[in-house]
This record gives sequence, C-alpha cells and structure tokens, in this order.
Amino acid sequence: MVYFFQIVVSGIVVGSIYALAALGLVLVYKSSRVANFAHGQIIAAGAFITYFLTVDLGVPIFFSFLASMVITFFLAMSVERIFLRRLIGEPIISVIMVTIGLASIIDGLIYLTPFGTENFSFPAFLPTTPLTIAGVSISWTQLVGVIITFILIGGFSWFFKKSTVGISMRAVSDDQFGSMSVGISVPRVFGLAWATAGLSAAAAGCIIGNITGLNFDTLHAFGIVVFPVVILGGLDSIMGAVVAGIIMGLIQQFATGYLDGNWGLNGTGDVAPYIVLLIILLFKPHGLFGIHEIERV
Amino acid sequence: MKETRMVRGLMVLVLLVFAVSAHAGEVYKLGFSGAITGPTSDAGNPLSKGIEDWFKYVNDTKMLGDDKIECTIRDDQYKTDVTKRNFEEYLDEGIVFYLNYSTGSTLGLKMDFEEEMMPTVPSSYHEGNLVNSNYIFIPVATYSENMVALAEYVTKNHKGGTPKVALFIHPSAFGRGPVDDTKKAVAAGLDMDIVEVVEHGKDLDNSAMLKRLMSKGVQYVICHTVQSPVATMLKDAMRLNVNAKSFGEEGKLTFLGAHYTGGADLIALAGDAAEGFLWTCSYNLTTEDNEKSKKQLELAKKYGRDDKAANSHNYAAGILQAQIPTEAILRAKKAGLEVNPENLTKMLNDMANGFDSFATVGPVTYSKDDHVGVDVVNIYKADGGVFKAINSIESEYMKKLRAGM
Amino acid sequence: MSQNRWLATGNFYTTYREEQRTFSTHLDRTIFTLFLVLLFAWPMFFDLGNKYMFVVDNILIAIVAVMGLNLVTGFAGLISIGHAAFVGIGAYTVASVCRTMGTSHELVTHFWPLLIVLSGLMGAIFGGLVGLPAFRLKHLYLAIATLSFQMIFQWVINFMTFFNQGQTISIGRVYWITGKVGRGDHYEFWYYAILVIVILLGFGIRNLLKTKYGRALVAVRDNDRAADAMGMHPGLTKVYAFALAGFFAGVAGALHAYVFRGVGFESFTLHESVSYLAMAIVGGLGTLNGSFWGPVAIRMLDLQVEHLSEAAASYLPQGTNLATASKPLTFGLVIVLFLMFEPRGIANWWRITKSYTKLWPFRY
Repeated sequence: MVYFFQIVVSGIVVGSIYALAALGLVLVYKSSRVANFAHGQIIAAGAFITYFLTVDLGVPIFFSFLASMVITFFLAMSVERIFLRRLIGEPIISVIMVTIGLASIIDGLIYLTPFGTENFSFPAFLPTTPLTIAGVSISWTQLVGVIITFILIGGFSWFFKKSTVGISMRAVSDDQFGSMSVGISVPRVFGLAWATAGLSAAAAGCIIGNITGLNFDTLHAFGIVVFPVVILGGLDSIMGAVVAGIIMGLIQQFATGYLDGNWGLNGTGDVAPYIVLLIILLFKPHGLFGIHEIERV
Repeated sequence: MKETRMVRGLMVLVLLVFAVSAHAGEVYKLGFSGAITGPTSDAGNPLSKGIEDWFKYVNDTKMLGDDKIECTIRDDQYKTDVTKRNFEEYLDEGIVFYLNYSTGSTLGLKMDFEEEMMPTVPSSYHEGNLVNSNYIFIPVATYSENMVALAEYVTKNHKGGTPKVALFIHPSAFGRGPVDDTKKAVAAGLDMDIVEVVEHGKDLDNSAMLKRLMSKGVQYVICHTVQSPVATMLKDAMRLNVNAKSFGEEGKLTFLGAHYTGGADLIALAGDAAEGFLWTCSYNLTTEDNEKSKKQLELAKKYGRDDKAANSHNYAAGILQAQIPTEAILRAKKAGLEVNPENLTKMLNDMANGFDSFATVGPVTYSKDDHVGVDVVNIYKADGGVFKAINSIESEYMKKLRAGM
Repeated sequence: MSQNRWLATGNFYTTYREEQRTFSTHLDRTIFTLFLVLLFAWPMFFDLGNKYMFVVDNILIAIVAVMGLNLVTGFAGLISIGHAAFVGIGAYTVASVCRTMGTSHELVTHFWPLLIVLSGLMGAIFGGLVGLPAFRLKHLYLAIATLSFQMIFQWVINFMTFFNQGQTISIGRVYWITGKVGRGDHYEFWYYAILVIVILLGFGIRNLLKTKYGRALVAVRDNDRAADAMGMHPGLTKVYAFALAGFFAGVAGALHAYVFRGVGFESFTLHESVSYLAMAIVGGLGTLNGSFWGPVAIRMLDLQVEHLSEAAASYLPQGTNLATASKPLTFGLVIVLFLMFEPRGIANWWRITKSYTKLWPFRY
C-alpha cells in the first residue's frame, strides 16, 4: 500500500512540475493563439541564467532565481516584439513554424556557451534529508517545486480573474476586434502574455534543473513533453493545465510503477501520455477543459 | 629604398619556397565524424577535442618525421545520415583510416567498412560492432565487458548467498546490448540473480521504481546508460534513504555503472548523491594524479583547453582514438610499408605486442581475433567528489563468452 | 492572337480545358523537356564524386517526402508534425522484408520497384489511420495528434526486437538489367531511379489537382464547413489527404532505405519531421514547385554552413563551438526570416520571375 501511495505522491509531484512547465504554453496560447514550440528552450535558458548568476557571479540563489525570472520576462517579451508581432493574423502553420525556428535559433545561441554541451548542477541549498510521512517520502526540492508551482498558478489565476490587465488579456483572447474597440492594446497584451510565459518558464527551468541536473538536452525536451499535458487540459485553460499535469504525472508514474518490468514492457512512462492523449482527444476534441469554438462559414 | 624592399620581398619568397619544399613529407588523411553537438555531445565534444589535440601534437613534435597527419573533424549531430555523408566525402578524399563515433552509425556503416576495407576505430564500445566485421577496432573494453566486470565484482565481494541485481539501462539498443551478455554470463555460471531489467524514461521521479526494486529484495543496481538519468536516480535514492553507505550494505541499494554513467559529469549532476557510486572505465582519470594524467594535462594545456575538457575522461578517449591510427602509421612506416588502409589494418591485426597509452589504464593490444584494444577496466569509486581507483580487473566471463561464440 | 501557342503575353483561355493544360504554351513545354533532358544528361558529363551524388540523392528523396507533406499541409491545410514517422513506415516496410527473408533476398534485390510501391501503400494505410482523428480534431489539436503518432512510432521501433530496436537493419544491393549495382555506380543509379519517380509523382500531383479530388483538398483547407455544404465530405477528404501524404512518405522511406542500404531509427525522428516542414515552408506551402525548391534550399544551406563554419573554425583557435552552433542557428534563422518576409516561399520568387519573363519587355 505504501508503494501505491508513493506512486500517487510522486505522480502528483511530477504532475505539478508538468503543470508549471505547461503554464507558459497556456498563457501564450490563451491570449495570442500561438503554440510555442520554443518553450523548452526558454525553460533551459531560465535554468542556465540562474546557474550562471549563482555560481559564476556568486549571487545568492534566491535572488538569482528572481533575477532569471525577470530576465526571461524581458527576453520572451522581446522575442514576441521582434518575431511574432509581424505574424499576427497569419495562418497557424506559419506561427507554429516560427516558434520552431526560434527554438532552433535559441539552440544555436546556447551552443555558443558551455551550457550547450556540458553538465552542471545547482549547489545544494535545501536540506538533503527527505520529508517522510508514513513511509511516503518527498524531497525538499520537490516540495519547494510544488509549492512554487501552486503559488505561481494561484497568482496567475488571480491575475486573470481580478486585475485589469488580466481581464484585458482574457478579453483579447475572446475577441480581438471587440477588445480593440474598447481601447485595449492588443499587441501589448500579446507581449505581456509572452513575458509572463517566460517568467513561468524560468521558474520551471530552475525546479526541473534542481531535480535532474542541468543538461541542455534533458531540459529543452520538456518543451515537447508538456504538449500532451496542455492539449489534454485544453489549450486555453490554466485550471486544465493543472489537472492535466497531475493526470499525466500520475499516468506516467503508474505506467512505470506497474507496467514496466511486467509482460516484457519497459519505458512505458514516456509513451503512455501520448497514447492516453490520442484516446481522450477522440472523445473530447478540445481537451478536458478547452473551449469549444463556434465556427461559422 | 623601393628596390631594397623588393629584393627583401624576393628573398622572403625564395626562403618560403625552400621552407615548403624542405617540409614536403607525405600527408596522411584521416577523418572523424561524431556528435560534437546534439544528443550525447557532452561526451562527443571533449572527445573531438582530444582527437584534434593529439594529431596537432603529432604534427608539432614531428612524431612521424616530415610526414603529417591531416584529420578532418566533422560534426554529425548523432545523425547517421550525416555520418554517412561525411564518410563518403572522406573516401573521395582518400583517407587511410577512419574514426567514427556513435553506435548507430558504426553499425549502419559496418557494411561500407567491409566493402571499402577501411580500418575504423569507433567511440562506441558496443559488443555488436564486432559481429561480422573485420575492420572495426574497438579502442577499450566493450560495454558488455564493463557490465560483466561489474557483475563479477559484485559476486566476488558480496557476502552471504546469491546477490540480487537489477539492471538500469538506456531504452535503446545501446543500453540493451550488454544485458544479453550479462544474462549469458549468468547462464554460464556467474552466481548472480538478475531480478529485473529497468529501462528508464525521461523520469523526474524514480521513487516508484526504487521502491519496487527494494520490495523485490534487490541489493545492487548496475547501470548502463548516460549520466543524467543515473544522477536523477541517485538523488532519489538518497532522498528515500535507500542508498548503501558501504558496498553491499544489507537492505540498501549499491549503485554501480558502466562507462558512460560515471565520471566528472555524474558528480557535476548528482553532487553528494554520487558518493559511493562504483564506476568502470578503461581510461586513466586525471584525479589519479599520476605520470599518465600529467601527460594528458600537459597536452590540454599546450592547446589551451579549459579545465573541464582537460580533466574529462572523454578527452582521454579522444586522445586514445587518435593514438591508435598514429601507432599503426608509425609501425607501417617502420616496416617500410606504404601507408594505406590495407597495411594499417594489417598493422593493427599484428599488434599483439601492444603500446602503452597515457590515456588508458592498460596496454592497447589487437590481434586477428581480438579487436578490442584495452581489456582491463578500472573500478573507480566516487569518494569526496572525485572518482578514485579501487580495483583493476579483466572480465573472465566475457572471455569465456567470446571463446564460446 | 490567342492562337499563338508558342508565345503568350497573357491568359487568353476560352475554355476550362485550355486553362487546365499542364503547359500553357509550347515554349513552356519545350523548356521543360529540355530541362528534363539536362537532368538526365548531366551526370554523364560531370563527375560529382560519391559525396555530392549522395547529397543529390538525399535532396531527391526529400523532394518525394515534401511533395507528400505539401499535399496534406499545403493543399489540405492539415498540419502534420509526424511526417518523418510516415517516411519511417516506408523504410521499415523494406527493412522488415529484409528481416524476415534475409538481407539479399531476391524480393529485395530484384523486385525493388515492387517493394517501393508496397512501402508507399503501407505508408498510405498508416497515413489513413493517423488521419482518422481528423474526423473530429482540428488545427493545433490535430497537429499534436500527429506529434503523438511520431512519438509512438519512435517508441515502437526502439522497443521491438523485430525492428532490431532501432539499430541499423542492412539492406542488400539491388540488381538492374546490367547486373548488380556496385558501390561505384550506387548513387548514380539511384539518382536516375529517384528522378524517374519524382517526375512520375510530380505529374501525378499536377494532374490530381485538376480533378475534383484535388480541388476537394483545397476546398477543405479554405473552409471545411463551406466544403461540407457543397457536398464534399470534409472528414473523408482529410483522411484521404493523410493517406496520400503517407503514400509519398512511404515511397520516400523505401528509397531512403535503398540509398542508405540500411534503416535505423535516427533518420525518422521528430527533428526530421520538423526539417520536412521547414522545407515545405521555405519552398512554398501549397505549391507543387515549392516541393522542389524547399529541399534543395535547406539541404544546400546545411552543407554550405558546414563548409563555412569549418573555414571559420580554422581561423579561430577555439572555434568549435561556433562551428557547431551555426547549423541550428542558420536553420532557425532561415525559417523565421522566410516566414517574416516571404511567407509564400521560394515558389513566389519563381512565380514573379515567370510572370516577369512572360511579359517582358513590358512591365504589365
């Protein structure tokens, strides 16, 4: 039974990290209808900036964490300004490909630094002894990760519900022309969406980097890994990302926990989310929480 | 004024012409294609630096007299397509020896090596490279040898009964290859119980897997994959407090790993959690601080490499990979033979009296039936943030298996 | 005036039949024929060497694959991020014949045209299967469904021993009327073989687009509900678009297997899918000639960047990082710049050049 609960806890932990990584995708999609394939690269960049500030410049890790969120905030904003603003109104394939192109460009830029090929790890700053409750254990890194995830997600939900900027972002996602007519600057909203996505990516990068160590290939792969999560949750729902993240985390952990090693199966944790995704999409084409678009001829 | 300048210019020109003609030895062309970027580039990058530096060193110190080695180094980003293209180009250029990198491309191009009769040293130590092949020379002990050596080490040092072992491997042919050989070794009489073979994914949390292994009574986990997943697992093991403090501790897991699982990169990724990790490798580590490692560091310093590259065992791997063709060329020249692929293959096949390399822990020997260079592996233990040699063994069972093949 | 079938300064069509002609003037047809003759003749006069002949073969294979991708993504407007997996299906069809019957079985070495068609059909079957979600899914959701297929494909190949767990499966040398095709002629032989296939498939697409089946694709792309209202079945049309793309990809995969003489899973990863998409976009989505420009441009760019960065590395002592970073950097930049400044791709330049020469010396 402890085994079962350990898997549940691990699944929730992994799932909330997925949710955090997925958050950035949802934020961008929600307002500007862009699926960002460069998200994994921004996650990696955020993690590397934090490492650089902490280790090479000696900034305390808490401040470098905040600083890297600020840096990616502006980085993502300028990416939107330079590359994506021109593409407003272009077909979806162009927008997807631009982000794929961007991913490739960031790859190239990161390969220019030592971070592209070498391995690093964050200095330990949390107690290494785990927290164990009734045989189920969770590390401080994971716990802090989950807490940060929920703070950020709670913050963003509040932001979208209550603040004026958040409401204007929702308005833009609902109807661009309508929101323009009431005086909302649509390009500014897009920029802001990207910026907040960048911020959440940096947070995700630091947390993942703390768990896996800093390896560029591992980190940027998360940009693709979280796609099933956002699609499952529905591309434009923050709540959906959280629920889907946790569902995916659980599926993955249960697949590794119960399928692997039996019936000659192995490595099912990587592929199970995609299979579940395909099945769910057949029944709910807009994910679990996505908004059904009404199409007119 | 003007005339003197012209005369001076002419003199320089004449001198240059003489200088060039005086140095006109032969140029032997070699080619390397490997993953300097892309997947596994954390190993491929320092490796390519090792190759580059060694050939520079050969040319700068005139090791081959007036002759020079010209080795083209190309990045294939771990893509077999690109490797094949590079290889075709090298063939067009007329190389005498080829250096390859990945397991995938070595197996993919095996037929070409055979047809072209091109001696090849890959950076992949996959046992399967040797099947139906006459021209592939593996520089050091194969992955299977590493893994079986670890298994033998476990059986020798385990106290009380048959040790229960799990294998933690990369979800690819690269990871699975040695598993079969380990199973064969067990069938051949190695006293060990393989409880489970785990293929890892991109996991953020290995608790489920570790708990499962514990419940099955596993005591040893032998890994054959790359560093990053091992690091994650070690961190989880430390968190769950299931990692053994000393070798074979009762009720805990002792972690061991073959070639690509360890090294400075593992410590960089896993930090304290790596303590006590046992790792096999045929290369001499710079942390050993012996005569050999001094030579490696000197070479790195001479060509301005940073500390990280200089101390990497992959840098050493690159040096060795370059030393093998150099040695073959030296021997061919000594024997008065023309330096061509055919003769270099012959030289390697007759290299029973091997040569010592400062990059490795044992001599490099080849013969017609033995295309594995260094047979010895060192067992290193992570201790205080560095890997230290604790043992040096040669796998008995692999020899038996090969003889039985 | 419109009766001058050699030169025309504008369109003077009076019937639909005239408009649907493949070549609008005799001059077009002549130039095209000459171009084809040139394509067949040049290897007899220039010796490119194996490396570059291999590059040319690669470009031609990519053209076959991109023609398929252009059908589904360009003409039918369905984004496919799993095209390399379809190519892989084709390649693994040949590979599995090799696995079951032996590397140099007669079926592989003598009846290779048959196997190429068979691979295409396998690709089509899988294309249809993967296209099934298109009945319900749209836009990005559909794109991610194809991404899922890509991931599942990679996992299956990597997992199953039948496919050698992704390790290379060798494929024997083929025979032609003149006997076994040896190493020296290998790439040249396949150049001609693929060239013939490209020409056949190219005309196939050209003619398909004149039929109602081709027009249905475009109609569904432009507005599937309107297409529905006009009596087309959008779901079936989409599935059939995927199947068609799968056929092209399957053929490309079989060719890939033969040219490389081996099938390993590295050639069919997500990165390759992205490359095919990039080729389609740089060439020009929804155009036939774009399928030719794109692969040429991207593959040549890749090669040139490699050469340039190598040259640069010899000047900079620690230039390896620069050399290795430049490939993804330029690849990304080309995609982004094209989308920003020439979203219609190189095909648009071709169109402009053509209309310019047609009217020359007048401006309009």
